[in-house]
Amino acid sequence: MIGCYDFCAHYEWTFAWLEREGGHALVRAYWHEAINLDSQRHARDLIMREGFAGMAKYWGHTLAEESPDLGFAITQKPDVFRVDMHDCPSKGFLIRNGIQQYSDYCDHCMGWIGPLLKDAGFVVDHEHNHCGQCWWELRRAGDTTPVTPAGATAGEKDVRFRPEWTQPGAKVDRYEKATDPDDKRSDATSNF
Amino acid sequence: MTNSSSPLPYQDTKPQGAADFYFAVNATFRFLLNKLGPAGWRRYLADMGRGYFAPVNRQWQEGGLPAVARYWRAFFAAEPGAEVNVVEAADRVEVHVQVCPAIKHLRAGGREIVREFCSHCYHLGQARAEAAGLTMRLAGGNGSCRHTFARLEAGLAPQDMAQIAEATS
Repeated sequence: MIGCYDFCAHYEWTFAWLEREGGHALVRAYWHEAINLDSQRHARDLIMREGFAGMAKYWGHTLAEESPDLGFAITQKPDVFRVDMHDCPSKGFLIRNGIQQYSDYCDHCMGWIGPLLKDAGFVVDHEHNHCGQCWWELRRAGDTTPVTPAGATAGEKDVRFRPEWTQPGAKVDRYEKATDPDDKRSDATSNF
Repeated sequence: MTNSSSPLPYQDTKPQGAADFYFAVNATFRFLLNKLGPAGWRRYLADMGRGYFAPVNRQWQEGGLPAVARYWRAFFAAEPGAEVNVVEAADRVEVHVQVCPAIKHLRAGGREIVREFCSHCYHLGQARAEAAGLTMRLAGGNGSCRHTFARLEAGLAPQDMAQIAEATS
């Protein structure tokens, strides 16, 4: 049986299998069709229906379940919903167990969340450092607010203030007002 | 994080997984069946059985049936909602699943379960058993079933796929 205890590990293995089977296009299709439209349809329904309030309900529940030690912070303001992930339970599981089959596991989040938010009328500013830390700011499509500097939205909870953000091995990938997993800048130096 | 006393190859900080991940397993099967057909889905499971589960297969090959029994007890202890009894005999280990945690949670979540869901345990389990020098059979399904992992000399009859129930939502 395929279990849920080690889900993140066989999920990551699946990305690599799909890429060998059908290239990057099949991986993208998997994130969109299987995860966004099917597996996570409860998140999709909430966010499509309730916008920011739906994000708070979905991520408030999901992150608490996956990360009971609360290795994250959620910040809600009228025009932005922000998540600072200080200790990603999913990427952390892979790191602790020395698992890597796919080139960038972190891409899967934008792979399913991006298309969801596009349909719901939102865009994403996001960075991940491949070490289990990332941040997300979700704003309404058309919002031209520049990407915020560290601390501007979340104060001291901003993950970019943590020493782990720039730990050895950290390499920041960045998305700006994006909804597509391929809109990634891998040459980013986090200077927001 | 490692725990050399655990028969599970990977360790989490939580004692059990998050049941909503069963939604993704079910959705993955639906996606693969739609995109690649039944043969592609079976190939995925066989590759996963031989590849992803290689560390467990080695444990089984080296530790024999006692290692198989230890693994399944630890595995289901980490799956929320599972009710399972593992029975050891001289030539086989039987895993009696009274409540399948995946089927239970998929139904509770109102998900359309792919009808082939239960046979994934056979395609995956047989690939894992074969890699460990064992054989596997499955009977039942749709919420409760019996997995048998046996030595080759146990002489189990070939798997009758009709003995595996289609899953219903």
